[in-house]
Amino acid sequence: MKLKNFAAASIVTMMAAMPALAETTIKIAGFGASSGVVGIFGQNSSAAMQAAVEKINSEGGVTLANGSKAMLETEYYDDRCNAEEGISVLRRIATTNAAIAVGPTCSNVAEPLFGILQAKVDDAGDTGLQFPIFTDVAIKGGLAGISEWVFRNTPSEATMYDDLFAWLRATYPDTKTIFGGVEEDFAHSRFTWYSVMKAAAEKHGFEVVGEGQWLLNDTNFSNQARAMRRAEPDIIAISAHPFTTCGMLREMDRQKISPKVLVGLTSSSSLETLTGCANEAEGLIIPTSFAPVNDAAKYAADAVAAKGGALDLHSAAAWENFMILRDVINAAGIEGTAESLQSDRRKIRDALGALDTVEGLLGTNKRLPDGEAVKPYVFVGAKDGGWAVVHNPGS
Amino acid sequence: MEFYLGLLQILGVHTLLGLSAYVVLLTGQVSMAQAGFYAVGAYVAAMCTAMFGIHILPAVIIASVSTGILAMIVGFPALRVRGLMLVVATLAFGEMVRMFFFNFRWQIERDGKLIGPNGAEGFRAIRFFPENGWETGDVALFIWCIVVIVLGLLWWVDNTRAGAVLRAVGHDEVAAQSVGLNLTTIKVAAMALGGAIAGIGGGLYAHTVTHIEHGVFGILLATFAIAYPILGGLGSVFGTLLAVIFIQGFLVEGLRFIGDWRSLLFGALILLVMNLRPTGLLGERMSPLKTLFSRKSPVVTNAKETQ
Repeated sequence: MKLKNFAAASIVTMMAAMPALAETTIKIAGFGASSGVVGIFGQNSSAAMQAAVEKINSEGGVTLANGSKAMLETEYYDDRCNAEEGISVLRRIATTNAAIAVGPTCSNVAEPLFGILQAKVDDAGDTGLQFPIFTDVAIKGGLAGISEWVFRNTPSEATMYDDLFAWLRATYPDTKTIFGGVEEDFAHSRFTWYSVMKAAAEKHGFEVVGEGQWLLNDTNFSNQARAMRRAEPDIIAISAHPFTTCGMLREMDRQKISPKVLVGLTSSSSLETLTGCANEAEGLIIPTSFAPVNDAAKYAADAVAAKGGALDLHSAAAWENFMILRDVINAAGIEGTAESLQSDRRKIRDALGALDTVEGLLGTNKRLPDGEAVKPYVFVGAKDGGWAVVHNPGS
Repeated sequence: MEFYLGLLQILGVHTLLGLSAYVVLLTGQVSMAQAGFYAVGAYVAAMCTAMFGIHILPAVIIASVSTGILAMIVGFPALRVRGLMLVVATLAFGEMVRMFFFNFRWQIERDGKLIGPNGAEGFRAIRFFPENGWETGDVALFIWCIVVIVLGLLWWVDNTRAGAVLRAVGHDEVAAQSVGLNLTTIKVAAMALGGAIAGIGGGLYAHTVTHIEHGVFGILLATFAIAYPILGGLGSVFGTLLAVIFIQGFLVEGLRFIGDWRSLLFGALILLVMNLRPTGLLGERMSPLKTLFSRKSPVVTNAKETQ
């Protein structure tokens, strides 16, 4: 009797499992730095991707060309923020059944990585890799223009900082001078100070009275802080990632340097900064394309937290990318078979390229012809161990 | 397949980097300057193809000759010091080269775009291979043809009087000098040869990644350069090749799936190998193939001969 029951239960279980086994899945690969100094960015992105896939699948997945439904799956590959490894990871992803990849984390990986892709679609003379990439984190300006297979959902720092310094000029009319501290050996932080922050500050009438440079792996900031103290600036802008931002802020605190306004790098508007130096960061103002200011953003933040990650402007982009890709796949009419893989990749690329606007967590994101995006943003300030919105230009 | 062909490219350029350090190590000198020569080769070859439209082959040759000459110039003062002082001196040279490219800007307009080194922003669009219809497999084949030539050349040198001279200097400088060998000439020649090989490796590297920047050519790369021949053993050029496959193929690519643990295992496995094979994977001097594949051990054979 027991054996009979066991056999019946097994058959029922197998029959119930068969549709699931036969179900088509569409793979979206994620890649970036999930280990090393900036590993937290990749870990947060990975959590955001898993949470987004879970949400999409719970809502029925995506629709294929024949009207059938397919589930999404994702896998995250670690490139350790190394260009050579990033290229190798992308080549590995391209040999899997992934329809598209979301990544990378580091701009110094993104730049060579995009270079190995075909520069212009349908250029028969260009043997570059034909694989679509939808970048979530690597934020250095103007990288999508390298290849037509690249799309980015990263905010425009030029627009955000231009607006920030205009707002500072209006809000703090007595501030006149600025000192720039820059993490010199990281593509993003360096580019943002010299090409974005500094230019925006000067444009809005602030006088740059000094610059201090340090490296990503530095742990001593006393000389740079002394230079800041000597310059006596009204505003100090720190273009650095959370680890050295905290190091610098602690040294500034030790040397009792307290400017009227403290400005930070977009990538530092994260939990890591507050975990590392909440007290010293108090008052730090940063423009960001993510803050949990509405229900959708709060829901996403909770879903990612449940996966062990934190939602910030970078991982929020990973979440958004998957939501955008869900709509793109639904509209592109992909077949989802092994034979159609290359044509599916092309359809997804073309559909991404055809987008004018998409819905993001903070509102409507504008898609640009060169593959870049213009995203809504807010200015957040560190307050009582959390990030609070100090100004919402869109409101 | 695309992935494996790409991996072959990486193995190829790293083998060249390792071989450049191997030649210098044969003379008993530890040079941390190889990353610097590799950087110069990368920038020179990239400038040749991307800025001036030269074919990759002459570009790599130009890079190789340039770095060979540079290595010779650096070699004269650097090789006057020995041991740890030489390590520091060559390390300083590597950092000097890195900082030079950190500040080096020279861009020209090609097809409406600015092309060339742009300081800390790096050197973008080194796209000779894709723009000239080279598939990933073609690039891998090209790189490995060069690797095989360099390996063959070094293997040949190793088995000639020149190789014996290099090893003699490496084993005992005083003894080598006492038999009339000119130490400075031999060391500088090895340095120049190593520099030339690093230049080839760098030139090829720049074209496989399409974008180079100062940060790539730091101390870590210099450490890898000398780690390959030391881990592989100085007995044969093939030890370096084996070490590159072990590190890049197994430790970097093979263990990627274990995430954060990879970095920890990376060091632990290298330590383990160095403990199990203190003279490198292939030892000090590789046994002849017939001995390796012989059923009888050489010790037993010798014992019988003695009887």
